Amino acid sequence: MSSTELDSALEQPLSVETAHEHDEAGNSMFGFIIFLLSESVIFLSFFVGYIVYKTSAVDWLPLGVEGLDVREPAINTVVLVSSSFVIYAAERCLHVKNLWGFRAFWLLTMAMGSYFLYGQAVEWSGLEFGITDGLFGGTFYLLTGFHGLHVLTGVLLQLIMLGRSFLPGNYDGGEFGVAATSLFWHFVDVIWIMLFLLIYIWQ
Amino acid sequence: MNIRTGLVLTIVAAVLAAISFWMGQQAYGWMPPQASAESILVDDLFSFLVTLGTFIFLGVFVTLVYSVLFQRAGKYDFSDGPHIEGNVTLEVIWTAIPFALVIWIAVYSFQIYDQMSILGPMEHIHKGMATAEAAPGLAEVSEVSGQEPIEVLARQWAWEFRYPNQNVSSTELHLSNNQRATLLLKSEDVIHGFYIPAFRIKQDIVPNEEITFEFTPIQEGSYRLRDSQYSGTYFAAMQTDVVVESPEAHRDWLKEAAAQPPTVAYNAAFEDYRRASEKGVSAGWVTVPPAAPPLVNYSGSPLKEE
Amino acid sequence: MANVLVDEPIKNLDEPESWRRFFGFSTDHKVIGIQYIVTAFFFFLVGGLFAMVIRGELITPEADLVDRTVYNAMFTLHGTVMLFLWTFPVLAGLANYLVPLMIGARDMAFPRLNAVAFWMVPVFGVVLMGSFLAPGGPSQAGWWAYPPVSLQNPSGALINGQFLWLLAVALSGVSSIMGAVNIVTTIVRMRAPGMTFFRMPIFVWAVMSAQIIQLFGLPALTAGAVMLLFDLSLGTSFFDPIKGGDPILFQHFFWFYSHPAVYVIILPIFGIFSELLPVYSRKPLFGYKVVAISSLIIVALSAVVWVHHMFASGTPSWMRMLFMFSTMLISVPTGIKVFAWVATVWGGKIRLTSAMLFALGGLVMFVFAGITGIMLAAVPVDIHVNNTYFVVGHFHYVIYGATVMGVYAALYHWFPKMTGRMYNEGLGKLHFVLTFIGANLNFFPMHPLGLEGMPRRVASYDPEFAFWNVMASLGAFLLGMSTLPFILNMVGSWIQGEKAPDNPWRAIGIEWLVSSPPSHENFEVLPIVVAAPYGYGKSDLLVSNADALEVAHE
Repeated sequence: MSSTELDSALEQPLSVETAHEHDEAGNSMFGFIIFLLSESVIFLSFFVGYIVYKTSAVDWLPLGVEGLDVREPAINTVVLVSSSFVIYAAERCLHVKNLWGFRAFWLLTMAMGSYFLYGQAVEWSGLEFGITDGLFGGTFYLLTGFHGLHVLTGVLLQLIMLGRSFLPGNYDGGEFGVAATSLFWHFVDVIWIMLFLLIYIWQ
Repeated sequence: MNIRTGLVLTIVAAVLAAISFWMGQQAYGWMPPQASAESILVDDLFSFLVTLGTFIFLGVFVTLVYSVLFQRAGKYDFSDGPHIEGNVTLEVIWTAIPFALVIWIAVYSFQIYDQMSILGPMEHIHKGMATAEAAPGLAEVSEVSGQEPIEVLARQWAWEFRYPNQNVSSTELHLSNNQRATLLLKSEDVIHGFYIPAFRIKQDIVPNEEITFEFTPIQEGSYRLRDSQYSGTYFAAMQTDVVVESPEAHRDWLKEAAAQPPTVAYNAAFEDYRRASEKGVSAGWVTVPPAAPPLVNYSGSPLKEE
Repeated sequence: MANVLVDEPIKNLDEPESWRRFFGFSTDHKVIGIQYIVTAFFFFLVGGLFAMVIRGELITPEADLVDRTVYNAMFTLHGTVMLFLWTFPVLAGLANYLVPLMIGARDMAFPRLNAVAFWMVPVFGVVLMGSFLAPGGPSQAGWWAYPPVSLQNPSGALINGQFLWLLAVALSGVSSIMGAVNIVTTIVRMRAPGMTFFRMPIFVWAVMSAQIIQLFGLPALTAGAVMLLFDLSLGTSFFDPIKGGDPILFQHFFWFYSHPAVYVIILPIFGIFSELLPVYSRKPLFGYKVVAISSLIIVALSAVVWVHHMFASGTPSWMRMLFMFSTMLISVPTGIKVFAWVATVWGGKIRLTSAMLFALGGLVMFVFAGITGIMLAAVPVDIHVNNTYFVVGHFHYVIYGATVMGVYAALYHWFPKMTGRMYNEGLGKLHFVLTFIGANLNFFPMHPLGLEGMPRRVASYDPEFAFWNVMASLGAFLLGMSTLPFILNMVGSWIQGEKAPDNPWRAIGIEWLVSSPPSHENFEVLPIVVAAPYGYGKSDLLVSNADALEVAHE
């Protein structure tokens, strides 16, 4: 912003809107929220497909499959949902400039997210059906796979943010990267809760 | 709004209305022959929509043409027009009237649809008369109870019809005039569309489903049946004829056909594909090969082979 | 030309920025906008070429021009290219160019994201064109890609035409979502001081509404496309009836997006009509607030009409009736706009420039299309004409008659602003006459053809349909020719047209307060808006600091 521009801008009554042009972080967060809302429609579409198939299918479960084991996925769920609180704690630390506290909670979040992915992989390898085993197999792997992809993305974003936390002056312009990654993580969590209810509880 | 404007508007509206009614009558001529009870209902609805649509279109068009002809800016006139931002009364009128028209059109369409009572999947069988009250002199439609449905088999790219009671198979659909036809639509591969323009009826045939479909032919003659849902390479060639004949002629046809040994019918897609394969060099890309031509008792008049 | 004030000073006398910037990775929304428009126009010609093959085949009843597989690829790619590589990108280009200027911003909210979104277009364009080289050729399943046909894959190859088609469409979706996030954020958060929502130009309202639709609709298409891709490549059974899948569910996923998509297309065109008609009638837009709100009503209604594409699919009666009613209802907010435009023109001082001719022609063709649309909404009529040429005629009236003509109108209107040059008015009028005649000659005959029962997507037809098909083909060839004066005009005028002043049309709008073309950063200081738009007939100022807006030149 040149000084002439700043002067002219200050002379005129500043409405709330002027602030936004230079509030890049605010713009970025707004855009990111819109993006997440749009992304959630993909999952909603998959959920609708799942519900339609399940309620209209004659033979829903493939031959030899009695149902899904709920215990392990339930543990995974607890871990993933708790990690949302952990990431929140990390954010609070960053907010008061406690960098090492932030990193500790952040790393713990990553560990919990990774555990979830590990648990998902273990579950997948132990299942007796594949993606081509009827509509049940197809929708199960589609939904959990797509979600798992998002968990992986979340963990990778967290890794990047962790790395950036070591750069001097990283938070001078605000904490948008951390806030967005955190919001993404909550989003992934909420999707999982719906998925868990739909696939594991409603059997 | 003064009297002179009101008078001019009334005259213009009356002229447009006259033209619209005339167009509505013309609309009947744009359709194929009315060979089914359903066609009479559909054509009436279409005519109504043409009348209404013509009136609206001409209203907008004439207004714009008038402006373009008589309200042009002078060559050196750089001033603006009047600063008219809106008019609440006008806005209310042109929201309320279209809304009312929509209700009218929707209700009328619903009534026509209900009267047609053609069947699709997930619906109750509606045994009864065709309720085409609009057609004067329509022959009484006999109620057919317990009639075995005619099986319609669609495949890439041929139509086959089976009359299970009489043990007849055919590549031409024969129907009894003035009798409600009941069909069972099946596809063996992809989605096809069962479409007879002269009857104004259409139903997509979804593989793995058996769809009951009904309508009532009312005029003897031969009409085209076309595949209407794009079904692959030879989609355009998937046509055949529907022959509506008197009940006696129909019974005779069934008897004669039952006596014929099944022979391979001419199939345009299969012939095209065979000729193309013999040529060796392909002018296009690889295609799903056509199914073998139907093996049927009756395969239409020899003239159809060209 | 009587409406150009040649004594107005030309403010920007700097050396024009290098033409090379149009071929590189620029983050300037004006450069990106033009990149979108030119790239899109190239693909318009590609899609048009496919149309010439189609109409060449259809000028005779037999399938005697090209092999049937080639014909089927032609109509598939004609639709796909015209939608995803012409219509959506050209509208994205216009939005990109105009929105920041119209709202008084220096650029979009996310300039780099903007550039990435654009550069994806040539990439997925290449992917789609590349499908000609795939085993089995390009997709031949129609632009809807309905299973089971789209799953048949006669070549047996993993990377086949249908696969590449799905990849191209997926990339297009990603690009569009990026653009939508950008545009909505920009409009909501970066309007100049004093520009409340009800002081935004209607084009901005229209674009915002259209992009909201993209945000909620595209993901549904993505979901359906992913499932189709899995069926095609991995052997899942989502839509394969033999394996227990439901092909009708695909149709729901597909149309849940693809119907609102047509409003993504037409809303910006409505915006263009709303911008141009006041300028060339010298009157305010009639009922501005109502026109603005009607865009949002259309967004809402557009989400609940999709089943009207499936009336013959095997949908139950209650569903048919429900969607018949919702579809008919959407004509009300649309009709409000049409009447508002007629009222805007009425009683004004009309100038028939090329832009105005195209706007008026587009409006008339749109009204005709709207009427055939109501006919299609009535289920009993639709049962007869669904999947026939009646539908093809209807949507080409919207998409050529209204959309293409609306785009031409916009290009003529903003050409001076974008290039700093005046176009040749004579060529523009010639272009209009050829286009209007060509479009009507090409697409009107499709209506009687459909009523008589000619199905769509056919390479051959019964001889009784020959007359109207010959008419349509002649019209198509004329349309092909009609692009020539346009190309000549655009290229020739850009290179050596008369230099354009800031505001050749004496229009009211922030973009007309800066030089033609605007400087790189658009404004020296942000404008302060003090009035509603379309203040024709009044002598109020639009902004309070008009003299301070131009960027200082050395």
